[in-house]
Amino acid sequence: MAVIETVGLSKHFGPVRALDQLDLAVEPGIIGLVGANGAGKSTLIKILLGLLPATEGKASVLGMDAARETLEIRKVVGYMPEHDCLPPDVSATEFVTHMARVSGLPRTAARERTADVLRHVGLYEERYRQIGGYSTGMKQRVKLAQALAHDPQLLLLDEPTNGLDPSGRDDMLDLIKRTGNEFGISIMVASHLLGEIEEVGDFLLAIDAGHLLQSAPISHFTKRTPVLAVEVEEDADKLAARLTSRKVKARVEGGRVLVAIEGDSVYDAIRDAVADLALSLVRIEQERGRLEDLFKVPAKAPAKRKAQ
Amino acid sequence: MTTNSATGAPTGSIYDLGYRHYEGERHGRAYSLYSLYLESLRSIFGFGRSASAKAWPLILLGLYSLLAVLQLAFSSIISQAIQQGEDIGLATYANYFEGLWILVLLFCVAQAPELVCRDQRYSVLPLYFTRSLHRLDYVLAKVSALTTALFVVLMVPMVALFVGDILMKQDALQAIENEWPKALPAIPACLWTALVMASTSLAVSSFSPRRAYAAISLFAYVMVYWVVAEIVWAVGTEAGWDWADKPQLFGPARSAVGATAWFFGDQLPTNPGLSSSLGPDAYLLSSLTLVLVFCGILIYRYRRLAA
Repeated sequence: MAVIETVGLSKHFGPVRALDQLDLAVEPGIIGLVGANGAGKSTLIKILLGLLPATEGKASVLGMDAARETLEIRKVVGYMPEHDCLPPDVSATEFVTHMARVSGLPRTAARERTADVLRHVGLYEERYRQIGGYSTGMKQRVKLAQALAHDPQLLLLDEPTNGLDPSGRDDMLDLIKRTGNEFGISIMVASHLLGEIEEVGDFLLAIDAGHLLQSAPISHFTKRTPVLAVEVEEDADKLAARLTSRKVKARVEGGRVLVAIEGDSVYDAIRDAVADLALSLVRIEQERGRLEDLFKVPAKAPAKRKAQ
Repeated sequence: MTTNSATGAPTGSIYDLGYRHYEGERHGRAYSLYSLYLESLRSIFGFGRSASAKAWPLILLGLYSLLAVLQLAFSSIISQAIQQGEDIGLATYANYFEGLWILVLLFCVAQAPELVCRDQRYSVLPLYFTRSLHRLDYVLAKVSALTTALFVVLMVPMVALFVGDILMKQDALQAIENEWPKALPAIPACLWTALVMASTSLAVSSFSPRRAYAAISLFAYVMVYWVVAEIVWAVGTEAGWDWADKPQLFGPARSAVGATAWFFGDQLPTNPGLSSSLGPDAYLLSSLTLVLVFCGILIYRYRRLAA
C-alpha cells in the first residue's frame, strides 16, 4: 500500500504555485523529499497533515484522505517541524508525556512511551532537566521524540538536521536510519541537502517549483561512476598533471582529482604520484554518482505528469 | 520484568527491549482537549515547573485570601465586637471581589500570558494543530483552564468567610444551615467572574508572543478602562450626561462586580460602587457581551495564526 499518494495536487498562494499538478505514489521506507528552499516541500507536508487545504487534486496518507480524514491521519502520523517548537521551562519528560497525551495516549501509556522514546533518541539523565538548558542537538532529539511519542506509522520530518554541527548531523541521520529500519516506521525526510538524503534514504523524491522532478530508489542515482576521487591538501593540479603524464586519465574538479578507474594499476599510479610529489593525501574514495546532477539537467526530468 | 529462561537468554542482566510498538487504546479529540486543559491548569499553578513558577500564583492567591483569612482568625474578637453593637466593615461574599479585584487582575496579568504567549513564542502551536486538536479546542481548553484556576482563587476566600461566619456563631450546625443559603450565590458568582476575567485576559494576551508585552497590555487595558470609565461617570454626573454611567458597563472589572451583585440580588439591593440607574441585569448582560466578544476574538485570532 502506498504510504503517501497524491493525484494532481496543486496549491496556489495567490499567483504563486507552490505545488503544481503533483502526482506521487510512495512505498513504505525512508523517503527523501528534496528540493531547494521554496520548492514546495513544507507545503506538501502541511497538506498531508491537513494544515492547509489543497487548491485542487487529492492527497492521501496511509490510504486516508488528507482533506477529510485529517484527525484519523494525525493519530498515526508524527510530525517534526523545521523550526524550534520546544518551550524552555519544562523538562523533556514532561513535554513529551504531554504531547503523547494530546495525541490520545492514556496517562500511564504516555509515561511509558516517553521513557522508551527518549531512551531511543539518546537522552538519558538529562531528560529531567529543563529543555531551555539543552544543546541544539539535544533539542532536535526531543523534537524527534515528541513526533515518535504516539508510535506513528509515518513520520514527517521537516529539515531534521537544521542547525546541527557535522557530528550532531551524523547522529541525527543515524537515528533517522535506525528509526526507519529497526522500528518499521515509514519516514519522509524533507531536506534541501542532497547529501543527507543520499545517506539515509531508500527512495528519492525531488521536487522543484512544485513539480516532481525525479522519483526513484536512491541506489538508482548513486552507484554509477567508476571514478576515484583523490583528495590532497594542496597542489591538486600537480598531481593531476603527474598522473596524466603516466597515461592515467585525471582531471581536477573542486580541489579534488578525479581519476578514471581502468584496472588496478591506477591505485599504484596514484600512490606513486603522491609519494613522488610528497603531497599529504587526505583520502581516496570511489566517486559515486551524485544527486546534485539531478538538478543540473532539467531536460532530463521525466516527471510523470498525468495526461489530461 | 522477568526473563524467559526458555529463550536461553541469561537472566539478571539489563536488556535493551528494543522498540516496542504501542498497541493500546488511542483516545480522540475530547481527550486531547482534556489533556491540554489539564496541562494548562497545572502550568497556571506551576506544577511540574520550577519553584519560582509556583511562587507568583501562590503569593497572589495568598494576598487575595488574606483578608478573609484574617477575618477568620479574629472571628472571636469580631463576634464580640458585633455583640457590643459596633459597626465594623466586614468583608462579605458579595463585596469581597469588589474590594480586592485588583489582586485577581494581577493573578491574570501574571498567569494568562504564560498560558497563551509561550506557545506562540516558542512555536509550540504547530505541534498541537498537527495532533487531534482543532483550533477551537485549543481556545476552549485554555479558557476553561484559566476559568477553573480563577474560580479556585476566587473561592478560597469565600470558603474562609464561610468558615469564619460559622465559627462566630454559638451553634455550628445551626449556623451552617443559616449561612448556607447566603453563601450559595458565591459559587455561580465566582464562576461567572472567573469566566469574564479569563476570556478578557486570554484574548488580550493572545495578541503578543512576548509575555511582558501581553502582561502590560492586559493590565493597562483593564486599569485604564476602569479609571476612564470612573472619571466619565463622575464628570458626566456633574454635567448631567445621561450616558455617563454606561461606559462603566464594559470594563471587565466593573461588569464582573456588577454581575456579582446580580447573583446576590436579593441580599444586595444597592451597591454604592455601581450606578444605581443601571440594575444588576445590565451588568450581567454587559459581562455576557464581554465574554462573547473576547471568546470571539480568541477564536478569530487562533484561526488566523499560522501553524
